[in-house]
Amino acid sequence: MIHCFTCNGAHLLLDVDSGAVHVVDALVKDLVPHYAKGNPEAATEALASSYPPDEVAAAWDELETLEKSGALNTDYGYGEAYLKRPGVVKSLCLNVSHDCNLRCAYCFASTGDFGGERMLMPQATASAAIDFLIARSGGRKQLEVDFFGGEPLMNWDVVKNTVAYGRAREKEAGKRIRFTITTNAVALDDEKIDFIKREMANVIISIDGRKEVHDAVRKTSSGKGSYDLIIDGAKALAKALTGHEHYVRGTYTALNTDFSRDVLALADLGFTQLSVEPVVTRDERFALTIGDLPRIRSEYERLAREYVRRRKAGEWLSFFHFMLDLDDAPCVAKRLIGCGAGNEYVAVTPNGDIYPCHQFVGEEAFIMGNVHEGRFDEAVQRRFAGLNILKKPACRDCWAKYFCCGGCAANAWNMNKDLYAPDRMSCEVFKAHLECALWVYASERSLPLPGEDGGKMQTNVEDYPGG
Amino acid sequence: MKHIRTIKEPVLRQKPSEIGCGECQASCQSACKTSCTVANQKCEKK
Repeated sequence: MIHCFTCNGAHLLLDVDSGAVHVVDALVKDLVPHYAKGNPEAATEALASSYPPDEVAAAWDELETLEKSGALNTDYGYGEAYLKRPGVVKSLCLNVSHDCNLRCAYCFASTGDFGGERMLMPQATASAAIDFLIARSGGRKQLEVDFFGGEPLMNWDVVKNTVAYGRAREKEAGKRIRFTITTNAVALDDEKIDFIKREMANVIISIDGRKEVHDAVRKTSSGKGSYDLIIDGAKALAKALTGHEHYVRGTYTALNTDFSRDVLALADLGFTQLSVEPVVTRDERFALTIGDLPRIRSEYERLAREYVRRRKAGEWLSFFHFMLDLDDAPCVAKRLIGCGAGNEYVAVTPNGDIYPCHQFVGEEAFIMGNVHEGRFDEAVQRRFAGLNILKKPACRDCWAKYFCCGGCAANAWNMNKDLYAPDRMSCEVFKAHLECALWVYASERSLPLPGEDGGKMQTNVEDYPGG
Repeated sequence: MKHIRTIKEPVLRQKPSEIGCGECQASCQSACKTSCTVANQKCEKK
């Protein structure tokens, strides 16, 4: 399978199974659909009004050469034999707080309580969750615990004591726990920043971008915008985490489909590791629709141009969805199953209930057990372990399948009530930023395409003035 | 080649016996929490 597309004026060709990426000229882009039919004479005739026959023949020969070399139309036969179903749990989302000091209008956790009672996780539950993780982790050495909520800083003592408990237990068990935390930055102070820097392998700081965008949706319980409340703490935390993995992460909604400006506003404030995600909601005030896709696509392209321009100018900046590791990326076993929700990855609520992931919390039909009671429903685990791109009809023939890996199970359930039916909107947004990521990859390698525009670099960002 | 420039060579075909140690990070624990991507994750073996 191949995918040929145009992004920011450049034409790229991805060979899906091998992961090979090629920059091509307009002729090859136009020729690819005909090449798939295997008839060079018909292709020459079909393209006669645009290209000389000898050029079409030369391009056809180049495609054949690529195919013979194993860089085009590869079929590696990745199937059931590549699926691993060990039935271990190695990653926890620990909802230490089902309460929040903000009332964000689009919150999938119903402003922190996940549709239930506002409560904080007792230490005994957090410790039992660590015990559960270690007991269920089989031979895995690298384990993960993400402090999440609600707002985890509202239960700070439990965060600190759980890290201490985990550090003690990991030594006994011969494991390594990678702790991470997601925070809205409201309750940050110097002591918390020092602890986070010392103990957390990754930190997510939630800010939506421009002050007016942030304040329109991320409000305090009294209804005021929270930007002024959080920005200094967020800056202090990000500064302390210089050189340490962290992301400033925003959510964009129908209210700011010009979200590239929010990413760049955050960059202008000095934040260097950035991410934005489309909102997950059915609320018509905020929900993004298929009709928004052209604008969303255009925003990612704009962001990609400015991203490359700034990086070429020496400004360090990383955007989560433009970071493609095409050399050391995870193996195909990982790519077939994706996030591992409900199988390797589960969420634990303040009362100890276990769910397939944080986005399923509150869906009682999906409760998998409880860390206090020693219950864990392996039938549900097997059900989620069976979610893979081989089993999802929409994924099998999708060119992006080895990058998105089947998408988010919770989004599929929330939008389609079918774990095997990915949310189409999420798919299309993913494909939009993936094409831009491949363009960024090409642009940063500054590869000229001989014979086109007098040798001018087709992927050169300076070719697109005005951004 | 005149019309095509390869910027990423093919990766070698993987064998089932060589993969799937499962030590890599759960993708949702990285930055998204509401989507899924492994494109920028590291293999723990590399």
